Amino acid sequence: MRSPRTGFPGLIQALALVLCSAVLAPAMAQTAPARAAPPDPPASAPVSLSARKVYEQARSQLVQIRTVLKGQASQTSVGSGFMVSAQGHMITNFHVVAEAALQPERHDLVSVTADGREAPVRILMLDVLHDLALLKLSDPKAAATFDALPFRPEAQKLAQGERMYSLGNPLDVGFAVIEGNYNGLVERSFYPQIFFAGSLSGGMSGGPALDQEGRVIGVNVARRVDGEQVSFLVPAAFASALLARGRDAAPLALPAWPVLTEQMMGHQQLLTDRFIAQGWKLATHPRYQVPVPPDRFMRCWGSSEPSRTGGLDFERSDCVMDTRIFMGEFTTGAISVRHESYDGRKLGTLRFSARYAQSFRNEHFDRRRPDQQTRPQCHEDFIDRDGLPLRAVVCLRAYKKLPKLYDVSVLVATLDEPKSGVQGRFDAQAVSYPNAMKLAQHYLEAYAWVRSR
Amino acid sequence: MGAVALIEVLERDGTPRHGVAVPQWPLRVGRALDNDLVLDDPHVAPYHLVIDRDEAGAFVQVGETINGALLGTQQVGAGGRAAVGDAPLAITIGRVHLRLRLAEHALAPELRLDPTRSLAQGLPLLALLVLLVGAMEVFNTYLDTDPDGFVRALGSGAISALVGLLGWCGVWTLLSKLFTRQGHFGWHLRVALIAVLAWELISGATQLLSFSLSWPWLSDFKFVLGYAVGATLLYFHMLAVEPYRHRRVRQAAVAMALVGTALSLWFNWQNGDRLGSELYMSHLFPPALRVAKPVDTASFMKGVAELQATLDAKAKRKEDAGDDDSSAEGGGGDDD
Repeated sequence: MRSPRTGFPGLIQALALVLCSAVLAPAMAQTAPARAAPPDPPASAPVSLSARKVYEQARSQLVQIRTVLKGQASQTSVGSGFMVSAQGHMITNFHVVAEAALQPERHDLVSVTADGREAPVRILMLDVLHDLALLKLSDPKAAATFDALPFRPEAQKLAQGERMYSLGNPLDVGFAVIEGNYNGLVERSFYPQIFFAGSLSGGMSGGPALDQEGRVIGVNVARRVDGEQVSFLVPAAFASALLARGRDAAPLALPAWPVLTEQMMGHQQLLTDRFIAQGWKLATHPRYQVPVPPDRFMRCWGSSEPSRTGGLDFERSDCVMDTRIFMGEFTTGAISVRHESYDGRKLGTLRFSARYAQSFRNEHFDRRRPDQQTRPQCHEDFIDRDGLPLRAVVCLRAYKKLPKLYDVSVLVATLDEPKSGVQGRFDAQAVSYPNAMKLAQHYLEAYAWVRSR
Repeated sequence: MGAVALIEVLERDGTPRHGVAVPQWPLRVGRALDNDLVLDDPHVAPYHLVIDRDEAGAFVQVGETINGALLGTQQVGAGGRAAVGDAPLAITIGRVHLRLRLAEHALAPELRLDPTRSLAQGLPLLALLVLLVGAMEVFNTYLDTDPDGFVRALGSGAISALVGLLGWCGVWTLLSKLFTRQGHFGWHLRVALIAVLAWELISGATQLLSFSLSWPWLSDFKFVLGYAVGATLLYFHMLAVEPYRHRRVRQAAVAMALVGTALSLWFNWQNGDRLGSELYMSHLFPPALRVAKPVDTASFMKGVAELQATLDAKAKRKEDAGDDDSSAEGGGGDDD
């Protein structure tokens, strides 16, 4: 297939986790200072009275979470966090502590308060699907001096446009309060996320977003780098649930790959069930039934590209999920579906075949490093779909650190017309083998001739 | 009349440069001027060797030399001695190649001049080859370009094909000229054209068959045939560079094909954990050329299910080899 055009807004990986790190995420760290250098007029506007009040109230519950290289005492990444119990429990993002959770032999975690007191912390529990981590001070005596930030009750809904305040330590510059607005939940997100119209920066990850009364609405997690003030928060309900579950848990046995695997197992089951239950869109091609998923938790972008040199005309559709699960070294857990519809009447049979084959060849599978995933193994054949002949290829790769989870890719080319055809590709990441089979079959069986023929 | 032997000084390729009839034994060879055969090579001793005859027959007696002499395949040091035998003897002293033929040696039959000319000869065949390869290039260009760009692509394609072909044949002609004093340009051109034609036919046929019969392995291992064609091409080119060493050249060509194939297999294994070069069969032809029967989705999925064992084994094997993650894997067991 043709490689995606960069002009496509939906295809750009524009989501950045708001973690400030020199090692983990250079792209995030690089864009942030460039923006920070010239002070934006709205950002430098005087903080309102209530922002000052909210910050003063929350200041003592705020912490910066530093991941420190063992034996070297230099930080590899910094994020934010906040106290949620008098016993020293803190909430932050999983991606803030991922290095320490997955490579504990090389990293330590340290919390730093607004008045500069440092204390070692340990991980009690992770919720990787919502990108949350529950931490606790290693030395409980130090916790006596902390108050906890209260969670806003779920029953009290916020109205769109309501003022809210995001706190954290952007780019390790110093603790800050950022004013913004609540804009409801993000549309077509697989897991609920709050759309916060405010400027999150790297380093604020894991910090709290508070209402006017200083209660936690959400946890800073990510922002879009291709937009302005389009930021995302994890709803507070997931953080309070994590606290309730893990309050008395023993510190997590590290490295945390088994926890990640277990939670991904749950995710892939939910994803598979929801994906299959939603069915397919109708009328996607005049001749064939071509599988295109409904826009529930996926976004489909289409384009039409007539040839300028009297060659192959084609239309394409790309459906991708915004939600991806962060796994420390990579993100995974998404489904994508795309197809291209080719019209080669101007080319003739032989030329069309050559171009059609070229497009079928132009597919790539090796995305991850060899220590993370095996090479693909494929099965291929001609398939009969109620009389419609297809060439089908199914390739799978196994995750090495997430046992029994696989990436599955399905390639399909219709083979009934000499001068036109449709090629499709389906990808599901980190699914179990039975679910990979189920999804592949579900996708293949969605191909057929349109009934009226 | 009645020379007892002939001793010749040879060129590197075996053609005689200079011959001396030996009227009587002994024959002394060396750098000193009072030898019967004077060789002005600094690696030759003043009295390097003597060829003589006794009751047992002709023999070579090596004199005071540090380099010794190579008699046939046998290296003989100073003071050594070896019989000439009943066939002409190749003698190498210093950097000079000699050949000794005794009067009683049987005369070998006359060889045909320039054995390389035996393959397809003549202008009509050359014209046919040029025509076929040209037509094929036009067809390939036609397949690869859009209607609007065809003529322009044809022009640039023709120029690059011509430059490539003439450059390739030119280099071989130069080699032939260097080693045999004849260019054999026509021969090299024919060899190159036939090889191009053969490769295009083999390549097209394997792709078509692998599509038509749904035999992915055929195009997957097409490169083996590629090495065979390449080695054959080199073999025939070399025949016009080393015309008297057929066997050596054939061995080299076979070795090259085997080594190339082995390296490619190894590379594919390193690169993709598999021996073939194609992850999946991607050669699509017009639907009418499909012969293999399509299967239903359920039986197709059975084939997919069979991949799991391989994938799990590969995922496991690399885990064990991993260094810093052994503790992670230990924890992974109780989580399942």
